[in-house]
Amino acid sequence: MPHRCVKCGREYRTNECEILKGCRECGGKKFIFVPLVEREIEPKHPEDVAIREEKKPKEEENTDIIPVTDYNRLESIRIVSPGTYELNIEKLAGSDERVVGVGKGEGSYLVDLLSMVRPKKKKNRK
Amino acid sequence: MNILVQTKKRLSKFLKAFFQKKRARIGIYGPPNAGKTTLANHIAKDWTGEDVGPVSEIPHETRRAVRKTDISITGSNGSNITIDIVDTPGVTTKIDYKDFLEYGIDKETAVTRAREATEGVAEAMHWLREDINGVIYMLDATEDPFLQVNIMMIGIIESRKLPVIIVANKIDLPDAAPQRIRSAFPQHPMVSISCLEGKNIEELYEKMVEHFG
Repeated sequence: MPHRCVKCGREYRTNECEILKGCRECGGKKFIFVPLVEREIEPKHPEDVAIREEKKPKEEENTDIIPVTDYNRLESIRIVSPGTYELNIEKLAGSDERVVGVGKGEGSYLVDLLSMVRPKKKKNRK
Repeated sequence: MNILVQTKKRLSKFLKAFFQKKRARIGIYGPPNAGKTTLANHIAKDWTGEDVGPVSEIPHETRRAVRKTDISITGSNGSNITIDIVDTPGVTTKIDYKDFLEYGIDKETAVTRAREATEGVAEAMHWLREDINGVIYMLDATEDPFLQVNIMMIGIIESRKLPVIIVANKIDLPDAAPQRIRSAFPQHPMVSISCLEGKNIEELYEKMVEHFG
């Protein structure tokens, strides 16, 4: 299984029993298990790290996500992009009606009609 | 003497409030651009001489529900109904400001229109949930009636046990196919009309007196 030395960051691939003796580079005895998904995302070379760091600010500029400051928003859920959502907690807590905003800006909505005709829930009285 | 007249008036008002039959509120529902406001204007103009709201070729022109009260309709057999007509915003499940841009509206106005239209859908559904006693479901006869929103709306109206008349509008257009609408909702009475030309409106009034009376 893939492991990484906590001290120097050197990675050891599957079935390398030598980590039992300690890290070849620094002699460290502590290793961390690296899941495969994380390994795919992480760059292999230090140069890649530098490139990624340079790219990061540009990506942030491009995303142009509107901060959730407008509390008068119509939608209870906004799909900013596939897999990225903004939840309007105030709206979700206040009513069962579901209006879903699509995209980063305003102006595109999906409406759940059935949620708008359901009778209001009765409050539990103790 | 004056006190006596006043007391009589008050008493008659009080008795009216108790014993007068509550007027039925008829909601005109349907997808955007089906001709709901044109029909509401036609009905109001025929029986009260007034208009209800402005019409436009741009979808979602009506973004707030408009009520016209005390419309008295008389059928050919002499029977009469007094109703309130509620012209509702077009009901749809998807509203995108980009759809308005093609009508020459600038982006900012289109975004506002989309927001108001979404609020309008919510308002229309509130009316249906709380205050409507009968429905005229209006469809454009040139469009496909087998849309999810139409099936869902008719289902909601049926589940609330509200009387409904299906209206196939725009039969003056060459590609109108009212028969398709009849086959989509055979369980409900249907009238084919042209609001613009005033064709078959009398038949709709007869159906209204029959079903909402």
